[in-house]
Amino acid sequence: MKNNPDAIIIGAGVIGVSTALELTSAGLKVLILDRGSVASGTTSAGEGNILVSDKEPGPELDLALRSRNAWFELDEAIGGGFELEAKCGVVVARTELGVGKLRRLTTAQRQHGITAHDICSDELHELEPNLSPSIEYGTYYPQDAQCQPMLATARMLSSIKNRGGEFISGATVTGILVQGGRVSGVVTNRGRFSAPVVINAAGTWAGPIAELAGSYLPIAPRRGFILVSVPTRPLIFHKVYDADYVANVASNNSDLQTSAVVEGTKSGTILIGASRERVGFRTGIDFTVLRILAQQAIELFPILSDIQLLRAYRGFRPYAPDHLPVIGEDPGIRGLWHNAGHEGAGIGLAPGSAQLLSDGILGKSSFMSSDAFSPSRFTAELAK
Amino acid sequence: MIINHQILVLGGGPAGLNAAKYAANAGADVGLIDSGVRLGGQYWRHTGDISVDHAMHHNFDQGSLLIDAVLTNPQIKVYLECQIWSVSIVNDSIVLRSLFQIFQTQKLIIATGAYDRSIPFPGWDIPGVITAGAAQALLKGSGVIAGKNIVVAGTGPFLLPVAAGISRHGGNIVGVLEAAYKTSWVKGITTLIRSPFKIVEGFGYIKTLRKNKVELRFGHAVTAAHAGADGLLESVTVANIDRNFNVKSTYSLKCDVAAISWGFTPDTSIAGALDVRQRVNHDGSVIIEVDDDQRAIQSNALIEIYAAGESTGIGGSELALAEGAIAGLAAAHDPGISNQLRKLRRRAQKFAHTLSKVYPVASGWQSWLTSETLICRCEEVTYQTVREAAEELGAIDARGAKLMTRCGMGMCQGRICGRSISDLFDGNQVDRIQFASRPIITPITLGELAQEGLL
Repeated sequence: MKNNPDAIIIGAGVIGVSTALELTSAGLKVLILDRGSVASGTTSAGEGNILVSDKEPGPELDLALRSRNAWFELDEAIGGGFELEAKCGVVVARTELGVGKLRRLTTAQRQHGITAHDICSDELHELEPNLSPSIEYGTYYPQDAQCQPMLATARMLSSIKNRGGEFISGATVTGILVQGGRVSGVVTNRGRFSAPVVINAAGTWAGPIAELAGSYLPIAPRRGFILVSVPTRPLIFHKVYDADYVANVASNNSDLQTSAVVEGTKSGTILIGASRERVGFRTGIDFTVLRILAQQAIELFPILSDIQLLRAYRGFRPYAPDHLPVIGEDPGIRGLWHNAGHEGAGIGLAPGSAQLLSDGILGKSSFMSSDAFSPSRFTAELAK
Repeated sequence: MIINHQILVLGGGPAGLNAAKYAANAGADVGLIDSGVRLGGQYWRHTGDISVDHAMHHNFDQGSLLIDAVLTNPQIKVYLECQIWSVSIVNDSIVLRSLFQIFQTQKLIIATGAYDRSIPFPGWDIPGVITAGAAQALLKGSGVIAGKNIVVAGTGPFLLPVAAGISRHGGNIVGVLEAAYKTSWVKGITTLIRSPFKIVEGFGYIKTLRKNKVELRFGHAVTAAHAGADGLLESVTVANIDRNFNVKSTYSLKCDVAAISWGFTPDTSIAGALDVRQRVNHDGSVIIEVDDDQRAIQSNALIEIYAAGESTGIGGSELALAEGAIAGLAAAHDPGISNQLRKLRRRAQKFAHTLSKVYPVASGWQSWLTSETLICRCEEVTYQTVREAAEELGAIDARGAKLMTRCGMGMCQGRICGRSISDLFDGNQVDRIQFASRPIITPITLGELAQEGLL
């Protein structure tokens, strides 16, 4: 490139590209680097969830709400083309204990700006006629949405390129240049690049990138499988999941957790998630996990029993020990910023996280405080 | 129900049959699994009616002898109509799952064969356009002639037996169009001569075609298909092509069936789930890499995986038989793999290599595509859409194109279009191997997946 960029972004996933778009809009010249191609990591391995329903009140919920609206603004701004849809969520509870927990959650969520309608049998089965008749309680979340994350990321990237930003694929970062406690650029297999700001948006692989700079981020992979059915007539009309899902997301157990998240797609297929287990970057398919997911999906929708499974895929969510994303400047190296660790919510949280980080870099006040997401929260842990 | 065998052979074609036979003769307890109703695979597909089968095949004797030897061997248990839908390694054992059984073994021989390679062209989704293998399967498996006026086209030695078979049984072949040039075809003869059996076979087909006044044209290809008012195939555009497959001139040919194949694609669907090493062969196809004993390369020392036949590279039945024999003996830990057997394999490998040079598929086929040509028929993704993914959205490989356009994501899971998409992107080895991996080999219902006891 002719002139040095104002900022280098490591990672062309939804987080890196959203951040780059935000900085581009602020007038900065960006260079995005990825060892693969656009959205070739975790971004391409999920369902494209933009959820507010699965967040307990707290900073992540505030971020999710802002992000959800930002997605719809972005859709207008770049002319769509990424299948954004206000799909709406239906969360169901199957046990008395579950109903109680769900009702407490929705009460708290409503106080924090979420629209959540508690519904009973008739309304529930009107929304989802194929739902098991034994399920009588649920909540309807009109703000839950969905997009096609590969297309969203690719469309944002073209918008950045049209405005002078650059992207180099197949560029593996092998070193981060630091002088006197300040970042000055990166070394890659495709050459050296200088910039006063470097953003680590490497998702599940953000830990090793931080390490290159002599810093520390405890981000680990949390594996998940998704089942995909053959195309069918419309059977499932919202994003439907079991209230246990919220507890699973928040769990710190490294063992397998599963709770069915079931939805129909525009292409006619039905997607079934979600499993969570911390087994490193283990490849291959664990059919026990697939079996449990199928069982749980059939418990919600008995009609699925006769629907054929076409394929299954897996991804690695970037997991931070406290389940919160890492958004902010590195505590030890000035100019090195992190935007990673969004676990399974990266698509939904991307535009808000990008705005928060960009405001931080530009020294502007933002729509919320980023303190809860600060990378410095791990420094104490490191000292131990 | 869990079924255990010392050695499991997956696929009952020439390679699998011979592997099972040799392993059993060396004393092993063998399970042979095939999805078909009868053993024999695509090569020895048959109706079960002896008089019909001998008429349909030029050398069914060899096949029926081998099938009988396997069926009567008390050391071999045969599982027919057994479709394996997934394979994985569980607790240091290889587990294969069918709808009704779970098979468990420490030693697996992969003999899953190959299927026809298709390349996209305008109109290839019109009813009446089929693969040469489909025309052959109809004839050999059911005694049915695919249509009234049949064009056989594409490239490879396989076109001749398909055309000759149809012609011999009263079907009207309106043309055999071989894309390869006659000169390169003749060059291959020097190798063909070293395999006298093959040359007699080849001349036999040509004699049949001559006798029935069927025209065999070299350097020609079907580059477009056209439907009539009823939506069915009515004619094809035949092009005189150069060596890079670029069109020089065209004419039209009336037909109701066009049986078109461009060689074969090895079926390596299960290799990814077993984590065995694969590579891209000299002809661009993804194959399972094997050592001198047909053993596949993988990291678990407690299990042994072998591969034989087309899944290790397209080579025809003689090579498949030799590889199957070696794999069977090696899996049974028989020290007596003879030099003669290895020599036989080497000769067949050379033959296969020469053939692949005689019948290349050149990249010029991409010039036959129009914006509206479907690349992926399952998801109806056009060439235009794939190009936009590359030019506007930054897809640089088949995986990226798939995730952005859904090409290769439909019912066939990229079996038909995957290779062509990789070629359009001039994909690298990793991308080609990933695109050929299908952990769910065939669809099963979620109810079946949910069954308790599934490993």
